Amino acid sequence: MMKEEFQKMVPILEQGLKEKTRGFAYFSHQMYQTMLSCYSEDTKTVYVSGYAFPTELLWAFDVTPFDFEVACNNMPTVVNGNGSSIMHFSEDRGFGRDICSFDRLIIACMHENMLPKGDLFLTSSYYCQGKSKTNEVVARSFGKESVVLDVPNEISDASIRYVSDQLKQIALMLEEITGDILYMDRLRESIHSSNRARAKVAELNELMKTKPCPWNGFEACLFGLGGAVFSGSPVREKASQVFLDEIRERIEKRKLRPEKLRILWFPWVPVQTTNIFNTLRYHKVSVVMAEAGMAWWPELDAEKPFESLALKALRDPHIGSCDRRAENLTRWAEEYDVDGAIHFSTPSCYHETGSVKITSDRLKEKGIPLLDLAGDMSDERAYSPEQTLNKITTFLEMIS
Amino acid sequence: MDDSRADIKRQKIGWFCSYVPEELIIAAGLQPLRLQAGTDPIEKADSYLPANYCHYIKRILDSGLKNEYAEIEGMVFVNSCDGMRRLFDLWQHYLDTPFAFFLELPRNRNKMGIKYFAEQLHVLKNRLQNHFEIDITDGHLKEAISLMNRRRAEIMGLFQKQKSVPAPFSGTDLQGICRKESTGNKADENLTTALGMGSEINTTAETAPRVLVAGNSGFKPVLIRLVEKLGGSVVAFDTCDGIQHYRDPVEEDEDPYITLARRYLLRPSCPRMPNTPERITRLEHLASEYAVDGVIYSSIKFCDHSLFEVPHLEKRFNDVRIPLLFLENDYSWSDIERVKTRVEAFIEMIAGPISASVRTG
Repeated sequence: MMKEEFQKMVPILEQGLKEKTRGFAYFSHQMYQTMLSCYSEDTKTVYVSGYAFPTELLWAFDVTPFDFEVACNNMPTVVNGNGSSIMHFSEDRGFGRDICSFDRLIIACMHENMLPKGDLFLTSSYYCQGKSKTNEVVARSFGKESVVLDVPNEISDASIRYVSDQLKQIALMLEEITGDILYMDRLRESIHSSNRARAKVAELNELMKTKPCPWNGFEACLFGLGGAVFSGSPVREKASQVFLDEIRERIEKRKLRPEKLRILWFPWVPVQTTNIFNTLRYHKVSVVMAEAGMAWWPELDAEKPFESLALKALRDPHIGSCDRRAENLTRWAEEYDVDGAIHFSTPSCYHETGSVKITSDRLKEKGIPLLDLAGDMSDERAYSPEQTLNKITTFLEMIS
Repeated sequence: MDDSRADIKRQKIGWFCSYVPEELIIAAGLQPLRLQAGTDPIEKADSYLPANYCHYIKRILDSGLKNEYAEIEGMVFVNSCDGMRRLFDLWQHYLDTPFAFFLELPRNRNKMGIKYFAEQLHVLKNRLQNHFEIDITDGHLKEAISLMNRRRAEIMGLFQKQKSVPAPFSGTDLQGICRKESTGNKADENLTTALGMGSEINTTAETAPRVLVAGNSGFKPVLIRLVEKLGGSVVAFDTCDGIQHYRDPVEEDEDPYITLARRYLLRPSCPRMPNTPERITRLEHLASEYAVDGVIYSSIKFCDHSLFEVPHLEKRFNDVRIPLLFLENDYSWSDIERVKTRVEAFIEMIAGPISASVRTG
């Protein structure tokens, strides 16, 4: 079913691109196309979570990354608010509803034989613990072992060495499945490409400071999350460039939406269609800064590729103390001149929900109110449109 | 311990996770104390953490906020799960325990992981040295390793005896010993005598169905006591305060940081670590070694690590025909009446004809 759904999506997106190349359509088309190619017998498919793995290493090989989280949670069935019709296949097998809906969905897809075969199953200890457990479950169903890139909470010479040694070991595994060696020039080019894309994302971040805001933070967030798998490939560069052109043009021609309030959004947006963004638009609220869309990582050093990628992983906002993250969010909130912040909570995201108190207190010190908006990324049974509408409108009244 | 350690005022260092090497704390002349959380209704932590959060973590925070750990001079937290990471953040932010350390715990149980964990143990040593203004030499550490090896061996000796039919100790008493071991004075050389457990005192009938309790944090004696009250005999518990915690000594003849790292990373793992099949196979072997009639797997609610493991565990135990009961609890076992009904039914079931086939392997 997943493959068929992607097969339907690709030509629709292609048709749209023929009319005009838009950033989001280009990126979505590439995403679905890539996921679809993982079903081909000739493809060396590597399971990975693009937003929580330095994928630059993968693009130095002839493999195709399969972002299993993005794939399962972006099927039209899920986006259209019917994710539970698939999730129950894992729930019926004992994976209870206290497990993240993202993970239940993936395991359900696995049980229903929707997933492509994998040649290597990579995951990481961050963003969350559920993701790596799910990768392990899926890998086992294909008779493979899951390989965890274990990224500690602290940054030191020891942790950089520990993570870069693991990346070197993963490179050996990639050599094994491709039957080819790692060409350092190719890895360096992947890193240069990632740096070029990063510079464009940083530029996009700067443009978001414009008043009224020229881009929708919802798209910025989805591009940050789903587009990360292309870090190190020309796709990420091109998509960022198309977005840049689009937004510059919008600013130049003053094709900007009226704006009454400016909001900082973190960490993710729900995948299922909700009334959140229409409500915000109706109230002329711009999401001007989405944490996931920020270029939070430093430029990579192509001469020290493994150490550099290790440092990128270690500096992920979801690793380390939540004080460090709250400090960044507070700084960004000031730089983007926001009136308030919204934290979208998905129930089993424990490191997220456990960080709200500190972040909220830090923002409060700067006079920025925070709304902790409980919902669910992809389980419509755990999302109440009425409650959400109530919460958002009350919050907006308060900050107006 | 040598004389220099004896001079030191025994300040208490609290710890929660079984991956904390107490040896380092003892080598610093400090007293490691495994902390439990309170079971009174949560009063303060609710405004720091959401309702659907691990109750163990929430209760630890609540106890901290209520100043119930006032006697503690320091705390060692472990990067054991996402919730614990946030607990450490909240602790540092809103509480003022003089010494708080976050110990990294690698998921890689190989050379890389051992090396990195050993480096982290050095960091802990340095932090303890600096904060408490004391030297921790390799000699001190080796003494502490030796002491803890003896204590572990004594406890494991008791577990070993439990393989007899009937088991010599009740599970409730054995758990009491383990609790005393982890919270008592480490200088007690003759542990079982000091704990008053030299004699065999189990009064459970020979025919009582034998039960293995597994899962996470079984610190509260509620479940084991309940099983025994309902006619079962808890012959062993493979939790992070049971066999899992005490098995396997630290080698005593090499670099103590490496041997400590190796022991803690390579001993039977908890579901936080990768490799579910290894753990399930181990539990299956334990069930056979202790000739149990059934296994109760208990987990604190909202523990992701266990929740991912349970479906596989249930399938495997069903395949090999070992009765398994999965229970979730909120640490204070506030729904004990509901649990009682389920345990009662389970005991009745395993006391039936199926038990004989399992016991004879």
